[in-house]
Amino acid sequence: MAEGVRVRLRLNGEDREFWVPPGRRLLDLVREDAGLTGTKEGCGAGECGACTVLLNGRPVTSCLVLAASCDGAEVVTVEGLAAATGEPHPVQRAFVEAGGVQCGFCTPGVAVSGAAIVARGVRDAAERARLLSGNLCRCTGYLAVLEALERAGEASDGEA
Amino acid sequence: MARRERTSVPPPGGAGPSPGHHPRPDAWGKVLGRTRYVGDLSLPGMLHAALVVSPVASARLRSLQLAAARSVPDVVAVLTAADIPGANSVGVIFPDQPLLAVDRVRMVGERLALVAARSPEAAAAAVRAVQVQLEPLPAVHDPVAALAPGAPLVHEGGNLIRTFHVVRGDVARQESRATVVFEGEYRIGGQEHAYLEPQGCLVVPEGRQRCTVYASCQCPFYVQQAVARVLGLPLAAVRVIQTPTGGGFGGKEDYPSEPAACAALLAWHTGSPVRLLYPRELDMQLSSKRHAMVVRHRWGADGKGRLRFAEVETFMDAGAYIGLSTVVAERANVSAIGPYHVPAVRVRTHVVYTNNLFGGAFRGFGAPQVTFAGEATMDALARRLGLDPVEFRRRNVLDDRRRTTCTGTKLPRPVLARQCLERAVEAAARTTPTPPGRGHAVGTGVGLVLYGCNLHHGGQRLDRSSAVVLLQGDGSVVVRVGLTEMGQGLLAAVQAVAAQALGVPPQAVEVCLPDTSTVADSGPTVASRGALVAGRAVLDAVRRLRRRFDPVAAQLLGCGPRQVELAGGYARVRGEPARAVPIAEVAAEMAARRIEPIATGWYRSRPRRFDAATGQGGAYDFYATACHVAQVVVDAELGLVRVVRVVAVHDVGRVLHRPALEGQIHGGIVQGMGWAVTERLAVAQGRLENPSFTDYLIPTASDAPLVEIEAIEAAGGHGPWGSKGIGEPSLIPTAAAVRNAVCDALGIELFELPLSPPALVAAQGRRHPFAWLLDRSAERDGPAQAPAAPSPVEAG
Repeated sequence: MAEGVRVRLRLNGEDREFWVPPGRRLLDLVREDAGLTGTKEGCGAGECGACTVLLNGRPVTSCLVLAASCDGAEVVTVEGLAAATGEPHPVQRAFVEAGGVQCGFCTPGVAVSGAAIVARGVRDAAERARLLSGNLCRCTGYLAVLEALERAGEASDGEA
Repeated sequence: MARRERTSVPPPGGAGPSPGHHPRPDAWGKVLGRTRYVGDLSLPGMLHAALVVSPVASARLRSLQLAAARSVPDVVAVLTAADIPGANSVGVIFPDQPLLAVDRVRMVGERLALVAARSPEAAAAAVRAVQVQLEPLPAVHDPVAALAPGAPLVHEGGNLIRTFHVVRGDVARQESRATVVFEGEYRIGGQEHAYLEPQGCLVVPEGRQRCTVYASCQCPFYVQQAVARVLGLPLAAVRVIQTPTGGGFGGKEDYPSEPAACAALLAWHTGSPVRLLYPRELDMQLSSKRHAMVVRHRWGADGKGRLRFAEVETFMDAGAYIGLSTVVAERANVSAIGPYHVPAVRVRTHVVYTNNLFGGAFRGFGAPQVTFAGEATMDALARRLGLDPVEFRRRNVLDDRRRTTCTGTKLPRPVLARQCLERAVEAAARTTPTPPGRGHAVGTGVGLVLYGCNLHHGGQRLDRSSAVVLLQGDGSVVVRVGLTEMGQGLLAAVQAVAAQALGVPPQAVEVCLPDTSTVADSGPTVASRGALVAGRAVLDAVRRLRRRFDPVAAQLLGCGPRQVELAGGYARVRGEPARAVPIAEVAAEMAARRIEPIATGWYRSRPRRFDAATGQGGAYDFYATACHVAQVVVDAELGLVRVVRVVAVHDVGRVLHRPALEGQIHGGIVQGMGWAVTERLAVAQGRLENPSFTDYLIPTASDAPLVEIEAIEAAGGHGPWGSKGIGEPSLIPTAAAVRNAVCDALGIELFELPLSPPALVAAQGRRHPFAWLLDRSAERDGPAQAPAAPSPVEAG
């Protein structure tokens, strides 16, 4: 151990420290070094969005982010969307209820992007779809996913 | 999202349950990131596999120098064809395809050698260190050209693999009655499945005697057969466990056998677990594709707007190996006429070897291409007759009165093609899009399909299904089936069927992904047959289990065994719902008395007769019909298409699980729309030039149209409670409807798929404003790519 670059970050609410080779991707840190395999690799080129995580609150494709650049950052993966109590994120609940999950491989990335969209309080359906367009899904045709985002948005409006 | 779903026809006899609405059993694990796909599995000492593949489409393999690759640190094995202990063959139907090339390369991506290393990086370095000597040979890249005399031969014995036929009626006689004849040639591109999870598997050997394969796949029994054949092992020594599978669409039907056999060979030699995960680019280059086809039509109608004859000649580009191409051709062949009454039919479907991408299974299985052509020709004839396209279809569509298909099958009533058409058109007319501005046009198009459910006659021998139902002592239930979940909702549908049959809540039923050591070969999860055949086998198992369950329940209830009914978590006395005992109590009593709580179930379809020489007979067991109406907005100047709304009316038999049904229709429509509008496989010299999601454009969330679904429930399905299957009919008519809508918007006719912006603009008699860009890239890529623009000819 202790070879490479030291990266201290807050991962799903926990302070963690990793030593990574300079070229290591944030995706590999999450999946292999931290063992959080919920985040998926669908293309390795930033095209499909399956590896989306929140980096300092913003959705990023973790296959294009160098782990070494994340020192001091806050990272949230699909495993960290749930509340500290274990209660799933409203977006996750809405996906299950609206039928937004099929093969599930894009789902973690879609859930993370969806949580960011709901957090921004986007009310316009076309704008929600535009913000989700970096996450490819081949099963659902996006319809149930977009419906879930609408429901989750309404639910969080109700709470506010 | 404006969606409207209703059930229109009362269910037959009132029997059967209401459809399931419960959340899918696999939803929470997936949305919380807890589901383990094969890429999430790793074992101590696991090796990483990589492939050495050909960069050229046709060559003689002169030599492979492996010493440098073997000396790369952390490389454990580099294998060639000489290292295969069993048969060097992976063809699913016909043994024309080697696992590893011996002396001849016939396609880009042909496997030459395999590498296993302790890290993916070392494996990649070894692949780069393999020195390959290939002597280029002539290649052929067009299925029509491949049949010309003197064309380079892909295999000895000629490029024509097989021709399928439909022969019905007297064309010459019917042609004499036709007043309008339309002739045209359609050039239809292939399609990449673009499942989000690339191909992957993990093979765990136990010496050289047996192995366990964990695979992302649709057909674990295909994988089992391929691995056993390549390793020379008995089937019982190869156990295949399906891992949660991130999309299939046909792309994980036959193809996963190939990576699994590669990983198994490496595991057999190294004695270590071997995982093979395809990077996206490799996946897109190597895996099977929807077949590119050239479809030629000569169809005629009389002055009353009745179809008199239809001649169809199709050239299917199989690529360099047969794979499933002949089976795909069987469906394409008998689907070429659609749900129309035509007195005289001649269909010829040629399956042709080329040195192009490998054609295989893809949702619809040959039907989407011929449906595209058929529905385009229906519009062309309507136009030439001066009839509205819907009215022309009304005059020809099959219904309860005229119900004989082109294969001579008299469909059982009710035949719902007409109802699908009328309801879809009526629903679509309720709102029409308004053009967003100058230079935009709106249009509406129709696509109809007659879908043969389950496997074609040619695949009948594979049509069986196995199930195991295990009642636990607490009343919960384990169900095992041989059909796979790949996203489509099989687990939810089987759970709904088992729960209904046993009278327990769905949550009490655990449905397992297939494991070849626990159920009998159930054939492939294809042809929209999963829920149908798995569900029927589960019902059979429940029936057998109840032979032991009912007497115990009857004793507890103080009634006769035949009076026992199961509902709401209780065994009850029929007609006296107050006399009830919880199913859990009956299960506990069975356990206490040591009564066997497990039962197997079986399903096979009835044998059918079919004459391959004439294409007449029982092509399919039963049929479904559907109509899609697409509404589009087209930017006429730039040739850009936006599909704004699709109305889908499907004759589904019975709904088993409502959200899964809707999900299939949504996904099928958007996948079909992508194929119609943006998904272009750029193939040059047999190589895929756009193997990425930046260059191969699948629809995004911004492209999703509004979808309205109407599911008509009626008699006729052979699935549980009369269900039919929805996976494929949800896609098949979509591209046709979109094409017809675009043509309607611009007043043009298009004969190529996808609908490219330059073609849309050219068909309006103009040059695309950005045509200079395309000219420049054509110059760079060299000539000989663009097929001559087909020109429709009118006669009569």
